[in-house]
Amino acid sequence: MKRRAIFGALILATAVGALAFRLPRLSQRPMHGDEAVQALQSGILAETGVYRYNQIEFHGPSLYYLSLIPMWLSSAHTLAETNECTFRIVPVVFGTGLILLLLLFGDGLGRAAAVCAGVLTAVSPAMVYYSRYYIQETLLVCFTFAAIVCGWRYVQSRRPVWALLAGASLALMHATKETCIIAYGAMVLALVLVCAWKRWIDKEPVRLREVAKPKHMIPAVIVGVVVSVVLFSSFFTNWRGPWDSVATYGGYFNRARESVHLHPWWHYYLGMLVYTKLAPGPWWSEGLIVGLAAVGFIAAMLKKTDEHGNAALLRFLAFYTVILTVIYSKIPYKTPWCMLSFLHGMILLAGVGAVAIWRWMPNVPTKAIAAILLAAATLHLAKQSHAACFKFDADNRNPYVYSHPGRDVLTLVKRVEEIAQLHPDGKGMVVKIMAPEYDYWPIPWYLREFDHLGYWDAVPDEPDAPVIIAATALHPDLEKKLRDKYQINHYGLRPHTLLLLYIRSDLWDKFIRKQMKRSAK
Amino acid sequence: MRRSRNVLLTGIVLSAVLVVVGTLGAEEKKPLPFKLPKPVFIGTPKNIPPGTTVQKSTGKARPPFMAPAGTTNVALEKEVTSSDEEPIIGEIEMITDGDKEATDGSYVELGPGLQWVQVDLEAPCEIYAVLFWHYHADPRVYRDVVVQVADDADFITNVRTIFNNDHDNSAGLGIGKDYEYFEVYEGQLVDAKGIKARFVRIYTKGSTANEQNHFIEIEVWGKSAK
Repeated sequence: MKRRAIFGALILATAVGALAFRLPRLSQRPMHGDEAVQALQSGILAETGVYRYNQIEFHGPSLYYLSLIPMWLSSAHTLAETNECTFRIVPVVFGTGLILLLLLFGDGLGRAAAVCAGVLTAVSPAMVYYSRYYIQETLLVCFTFAAIVCGWRYVQSRRPVWALLAGASLALMHATKETCIIAYGAMVLALVLVCAWKRWIDKEPVRLREVAKPKHMIPAVIVGVVVSVVLFSSFFTNWRGPWDSVATYGGYFNRARESVHLHPWWHYYLGMLVYTKLAPGPWWSEGLIVGLAAVGFIAAMLKKTDEHGNAALLRFLAFYTVILTVIYSKIPYKTPWCMLSFLHGMILLAGVGAVAIWRWMPNVPTKAIAAILLAAATLHLAKQSHAACFKFDADNRNPYVYSHPGRDVLTLVKRVEEIAQLHPDGKGMVVKIMAPEYDYWPIPWYLREFDHLGYWDAVPDEPDAPVIIAATALHPDLEKKLRDKYQINHYGLRPHTLLLLYIRSDLWDKFIRKQMKRSAK
Repeated sequence: MRRSRNVLLTGIVLSAVLVVVGTLGAEEKKPLPFKLPKPVFIGTPKNIPPGTTVQKSTGKARPPFMAPAGTTNVALEKEVTSSDEEPIIGEIEMITDGDKEATDGSYVELGPGLQWVQVDLEAPCEIYAVLFWHYHADPRVYRDVVVQVADDADFITNVRTIFNNDHDNSAGLGIGKDYEYFEVYEGQLVDAKGIKARFVRIYTKGSTANEQNHFIEIEVWGKSAK
């Protein structure tokens, strides 16, 4: 009982520590284009109450519906009343939830291993960085872990409530992101391998019907289907949604082959985790987690008893993590945040590995040395997390910064706002935004308080406006069609991608006069 | 008639004498022997439109810069100070160590916002050129690049601006008419026209890449003031 209380206290303390990395300065990093797109979807849902699943452009609905909670709590009724924190708090909660779920997993993973895994989740740079990132990935990882944890609790207790919760978690995975099928596949394959191990290596009978009773499984499946249908049908208002949630996989498989996000296979993710140095500047490594996970894998395979962690569960996690890593590495479509799914598996195994190293040490001095080295390496992870989130949060030298807008976008937005202050209509001023393939995100997010915005993927017939934001590629065409005179400044959208800001001459002159007056004061 | 011819001849002779004396008196000029670092990338963005505040690349090497014979880099190994006493990366001393490469251990990263670094030439100098590199590992434009010289370290006495591309006075040092430019391995060369000063200060305010400020090297080409 006392040990359980200490375990609970340690996990809770770790969760608080995790919040210390995840909560501060949530608005500091410029919104990524993907974050901005998601935020606008949530804003539309809050303003209109309408959500329609769009299988081509967006992932599942869970992120948008869950975002309504912080919007309500902060009394934000419109998108204009929100800020970055309103949305980024959602992944913060789920990123911390990953640690709290360990409270239900201590007997399976081993309590010491669970605490180690909690600490590594709290300080892993990738985990911390993307727990502050308004996309679906952290939610997917949390729901996936919830499904595993609930499944484990069901196997331990045979109580139907855990089966129902596991079904709901699997459905929430589906309602979050299409890549849930990779986790489903890895789970099934890992279960098969665990059963095979039990049957042929442990020479023990496998009685699946005793582990998963049909009278519990059927309601669990029904709950899963209901949760998924409720969310995809936008609470029974869009019956096409559930069908589209399945039909999306046609396009999904194509996207996995044809995209700008295609990267080489095995070394992209593992290389990024083990050692990254993208330009002169700092280097990054989560090699501690990868190394400890490898040790954890070996420990899981060697495990004979269920003391300090269940052998079958550890083997399941080991197989599941390897399968997931191979599948994600093999798929050509890669973005850094996709690795969170298997990185979390690695972190769980790393907890097992850390404890295994401790136990394998023959005496107190060697145990002390191992503990000191592990603590120092963990501290290094924490230091990297701090750098990744607060110093290099939008800097291309950070491996988790992917296709990310630089802070120059904020300079551009500030300039547009300064010009609006000088315009008689204020934020009712017309701003025309144009870029091929609509490559101007996250500008719409930052101009969400403006009333008259227009977006084009080419130069419109009458482009003149007090302020125009255009891709540099459109400049020749724009020059031909403009009748007014403009001051043209350029801003970095992303590395190697510039935007031009056209400010009508009368407004620019007013602005310069104001600047000179301010300077004179 | 004869008188006017004599006046004309006298004029021609006097002019010739003046040209000869002027030529002999003028200092001999030689191209400055800049040693450039290795290029890390080739070219700058091609679609920079005319009419913006950014200088369009010519695609050709910079022509030789002529300065009086004996002009050297008087900033080499000289003391550097900065508005950011605790750089994010690197040490301030790197700015005058002669290493101009865009590699690790060559550059200093200062915090966000308007920052400056200044070089103490230790004595008043006639400055002919200031050549500097911020960070030339990728094509980026640094904002509000202002180069000033002064007679005192606090930049109170005899402050003169020799380069300013802050076109909207966002740095608060006045509106500049110079062009913004993409960082390249050739660095940014400012013609200082023999101006006399002991201190050289360069301001920047972030770049199109990020809000930090970077300096790899500053060279001040000049001679001890007579």
